[in-house]
Amino acid sequence: MRPPAAVSSTRVLLAALVGVVAVALAACGGASKPASGPGLTIDITIAHGQVTPANATLQATVRQSITLHVTSDATDELHVHSVPDHKFEVAATANQTFQFSVDVPGSVDVELHHLDRTVATIHVHP
Amino acid sequence: MTEPITVAHGLGGSSDLPVPYAFSVIGAAWALTFTFALVALAWKRPRFDPDNPTHPLPAAVTTFVDSRVVRGAAAVAALAFTGWVLLAGFCGPQMQSNALLGVFYVLLWVGLVAVSLLVGPVWRVISPMRTVYLLLQRITPELLAKPRLRYPESWGYRPAAVGLFAFVWMELASPNPAALPWVKTWLLIYAVGLLGGAWLCGQRWFARADPFGVYSMAVSRLSPFRRDSKTQRIAIGNPFDHLVSLPIRPGIVAVLAVLLGSTAFDSFSSSVTWRNFADGLARSIHAVPVSVSLSALRTIGMLGFVAVVATTFSLAARATGGLDRGQRRALPGQLAHSLIPIVVGYIFAHYLSYLVERGQQAVFALADPLGRGWNLLGLGHLHVAYVLSLHPTVLAVIKVTSVVTGHIVAVIAAHDKALRLLPSGHQLTGQLTMMLVMVSYTFTGLYLLFSA
Repeated sequence: MRPPAAVSSTRVLLAALVGVVAVALAACGGASKPASGPGLTIDITIAHGQVTPANATLQATVRQSITLHVTSDATDELHVHSVPDHKFEVAATANQTFQFSVDVPGSVDVELHHLDRTVATIHVHP
Repeated sequence: MTEPITVAHGLGGSSDLPVPYAFSVIGAAWALTFTFALVALAWKRPRFDPDNPTHPLPAAVTTFVDSRVVRGAAAVAALAFTGWVLLAGFCGPQMQSNALLGVFYVLLWVGLVAVSLLVGPVWRVISPMRTVYLLLQRITPELLAKPRLRYPESWGYRPAAVGLFAFVWMELASPNPAALPWVKTWLLIYAVGLLGGAWLCGQRWFARADPFGVYSMAVSRLSPFRRDSKTQRIAIGNPFDHLVSLPIRPGIVAVLAVLLGSTAFDSFSSSVTWRNFADGLARSIHAVPVSVSLSALRTIGMLGFVAVVATTFSLAARATGGLDRGQRRALPGQLAHSLIPIVVGYIFAHYLSYLVERGQQAVFALADPLGRGWNLLGLGHLHVAYVLSLHPTVLAVIKVTSVVTGHIVAVIAAHDKALRLLPSGHQLTGQLTMMLVMVSYTFTGLYLLFSA
């Protein structure tokens, strides 16, 4: 026979779980939606081994067109860690544009490979 | 000349969206309310005991699990699987899509938690190094018949804690977790360390020093399945009774602190705060390459997180009156089992989408280990189903629920054990510090899920 306390503790636990899920689900309705505009453009400048912006946080939505507008004084590679992945060769010139979109929601890092810096983290919402 | 891409976890792709603020706050409120309701209102006599009765499963289950044939078959299958993965690692395409990385970082690290939680300490049966050792023992009985040294029991699980730290270092702090030569070197050191130790100390070395074995054993204490303490038959029982049976050996707190501290650091290290700090500092040191100084900073940061967990837990466990120094010193080990649910809840919150989605990727990659277009079992044509990423709200609810559930199970376990350990008159005050520390772990965990 099971001791009564084990039963009551399980019940307390269950009640608590049900509560958490219920309240969390109720809160979903109020979750804020990022604005879905025509597209997101990030202006990136690479000069003297420095990149701006760095470690920026941006918002986007799935399949929204995201444009990287790059001016650089050095060759490098931009890696977009998303699903699907994207990789762009950066030349040492002004006004290059790279366009992509993301299919699966998630936090997407845009990294400058040789400089080893994260330009931005894009939160891609559904 | 293409260098491997430096990415978190060595797997590339995106990471989870942050948990919405409201979810974290609601989770935190539940954790706090439940904790103090428990301390104030719950039972005043200890309930949980490994000797408590269980519901035995049919005898055939025990016979099956204990049969030498079944165990042997499982061990050989796991060894063959390991061989397949190593074939990919050594002969396959040396890039990020190599099956070895997914198996190492996802199936092994997170999959082992899920399996151990569901069915028990499976690593003991399937550990490839143990199988290799047993096979060697058959081939050269005169060399491995009996251990040369007794395992120094004062070491306890400390070698495993070191091994676990080595793993999380490779994944989260090394210059490049996706670098196959590094991963293969890691595995080589692991294999030599285990076989060398077993050559000296026999099979006990696997039980104490194999990081994955100790990890699997600790997590399995939350499993509903266990052996009845009297009949040794496999049975279903209250996981709280099972949890108390965690062996108390030196280093057990360190093992759990490595697991919890490193997972928290993983969240923290992707935050803007840490990145700005680390980037700034690493670039001001000109003597070494940036990747090396970043790796050094991450190593220090992760050690810091682990040390904070170990220290706060140990101090909180000892913070009670009515006991002498020696008794107080034993308390952190005696309460260590109550950290397991926090660790498991947090690891699931953090790595569940990795397990479900990167796990699929890892399995698909195994269909073509050499990159020659093989398509074993038709796996090569399948596409990853992003079941969790596509539903961030569901994922956020699962994350907060698993952190809060882990917390609630932990405080129940700690409360019950405190009733057994603390002298009357100090039972309420003696567990307050521990409850506060657990609440602070959970708040930090929820904060990191929301901010990173």
